[in-house]
Amino acid sequence: MPVSLNYIVKRLFWSILVLVGVVVFSYLVIIFSPGDPATKWAGNPRGVNATLAIEAARRELGLDKPLHIQVFDFIIKVFTGNLGTSIAYKQPVFTILYSNLAATLELLFCSYVIILPIGIFLGVYSALHRDELIDDLLQTFGTVMANTPAFWLAAIVFLLLVSSGHPVYGRIDTRLALETGFQPITGFYLLDSLLQGNIIIFIDVLIKLIPPALIVGVYPLGLSIRLSRALMAESLTEDFVRAAVAWGVRKRRIIWRYAFRASIPPLVQVSGLAFAYSLIDAMVVEYAVFGREGLGRLLVDALNYSDFKLAIGLLIVVTVFYLVINTLADVIQALIDPRVRL
Amino acid sequence: MTSTSNDKLDISAAVKNAKRALQIRTGFVALIFKAWSKSNRFKIGLLISSFIILIGVLAPLIAPYPRDGLGYVPEDALQKIRLPPSQDHLFGTDTRGRDIFSRVVFGARSALIQIFLVVSSSLLIGLFMGVIAAYYKGLVETVINYLIELFMSIPAIVIALALRLILGSGLFTVVLALIITWWSWYGRVTYIYSRSIVEMDYVLLAKLSGVSGLKIIFRHVVRNASPPVLVQAVTDLGSVLLEASAINFLGLGLPPDSPEWGVIMQEGIQYLSISPWISVFPGIFILITALGFSLIGDSLREEVDPKLRRRWRLWF
Repeated sequence: MPVSLNYIVKRLFWSILVLVGVVVFSYLVIIFSPGDPATKWAGNPRGVNATLAIEAARRELGLDKPLHIQVFDFIIKVFTGNLGTSIAYKQPVFTILYSNLAATLELLFCSYVIILPIGIFLGVYSALHRDELIDDLLQTFGTVMANTPAFWLAAIVFLLLVSSGHPVYGRIDTRLALETGFQPITGFYLLDSLLQGNIIIFIDVLIKLIPPALIVGVYPLGLSIRLSRALMAESLTEDFVRAAVAWGVRKRRIIWRYAFRASIPPLVQVSGLAFAYSLIDAMVVEYAVFGREGLGRLLVDALNYSDFKLAIGLLIVVTVFYLVINTLADVIQALIDPRVRL
Repeated sequence: MTSTSNDKLDISAAVKNAKRALQIRTGFVALIFKAWSKSNRFKIGLLISSFIILIGVLAPLIAPYPRDGLGYVPEDALQKIRLPPSQDHLFGTDTRGRDIFSRVVFGARSALIQIFLVVSSSLLIGLFMGVIAAYYKGLVETVINYLIELFMSIPAIVIALALRLILGSGLFTVVLALIITWWSWYGRVTYIYSRSIVEMDYVLLAKLSGVSGLKIIFRHVVRNASPPVLVQAVTDLGSVLLEASAINFLGLGLPPDSPEWGVIMQEGIQYLSISPWISVFPGIFILITALGFSLIGDSLREEVDPKLRRRWRLWF
């Protein structure tokens, strides 16, 4: 066993504890924020059935019980995936969240698969050409990319695509999907279309996925260009590199097999953090500019219908996502970096 | 005669002393001086940010239509809806006939206000929590670290959504949402740095001489832990703007019609293919401002972290 099980269990336990804390925090926000909690939970209803809806919400939250029991009940509800019916969609909150999460995740995974190798390669290239013009240019490019607002770039790209006559909108061509008999199974359309052997839909989905994926990747691109250069600058000066040169090891092998390997653990950890940051970018870009379904649409709909349940559901799902990614990054880091295992 | 020469002597001695004081001074101010003398990136960054600050301060003088800039709809609005950029309207006009240049100029103000409020409050909270955790150890340390981890894992945008539903739209919503998550980063950085400072001999000495805990914290620990945290804060000024404008862009923060870059962009996004100038110009300002702050932060970070500054050569 290369990694002590102890470390992983400890890390998992801590994450679950944080998750419970987030659930408690969101419940306290419902209860102690100004305004009647039941009215908020029912989505500020108006009309004839308003009092009925508020009463139902009051029962659902159990507001007549002592606070600690309310909180405990709420935690149980969240962990059994039962947050009630969304006001905006008239469906259970977690069902909607799950079906939309897949769309956002597909976008994010695609974005990272394309962007990270490019960014890392450019960073390493820049480190190998230090003090040359190309190094300066690449690092400036990285800084600009890391500071570009994704939604602005999305607007520009969308505009360019429209004016070039290839507008990209939505996630899938519904008419094409009906004609070819496409059935979503997992919610990840790329995977679904491949499983069904539906190449037309696969290409359609891919074309609609790539522009937003590249835009969501601006921040990780800038970050990885700068970070991998800094890390390589550190590891290329180490003694083991000089020793390898003296042994006559091939240059490419030294760079990738020895020097780059030493910079993988921090890259994994920072990518984990950046992934969580990109989730926000994805939520902003996917619906508001590209009209794709996903968590971004839920965000906007929760606002338009003042759907508080959906908002709390989103908060919990996004936090779970963050925790899962960062726990994974920590565990991977422990697997490859012997120093963390202590 | 002797008195004047004495004066002269005194003055030159004073100048020498001041110079020496400047040279040996450590801390945040000295860092800025060092970065200024060494790095072009710092100068460019400082130039950009002072330009933005100047625009923000002088907004009513620069804006050709100050009333439009504040969000009022002009009287002849119907004739001026979504005009393309021209001599009268440098950046064109928006969906309700307001001059976008004026709105963007006033937007610099709200950008700076948001950045300042978020960073200064999170910095205060984060510094305090981090130092307390490192100094008192034990249960306090565990609880504060737990809180830091907790608020680090909630993205500001979903908190902004919840706050928007509770409090309605306004500056308060976006600023509070950002502070709730942002302090935890400073808390962690402060904690990491002060953990080693707490073990220093001068802290032990102060403890042994019976100096009270709070006094040690403020006089020794905070002072020595703050430079790296302040550098982090300067680097973050741009990120705060990016996130705040994303929140505003989704309509979760400031109300529509307010002079804020994200809000203006949101207004134009439906007309993106017909009148792109509404959304494009504010975005450029967001990019430039964020870039300026980040250039400053990066050069300061290089000064703080000697590893980044090190000259190095390849062995092949």
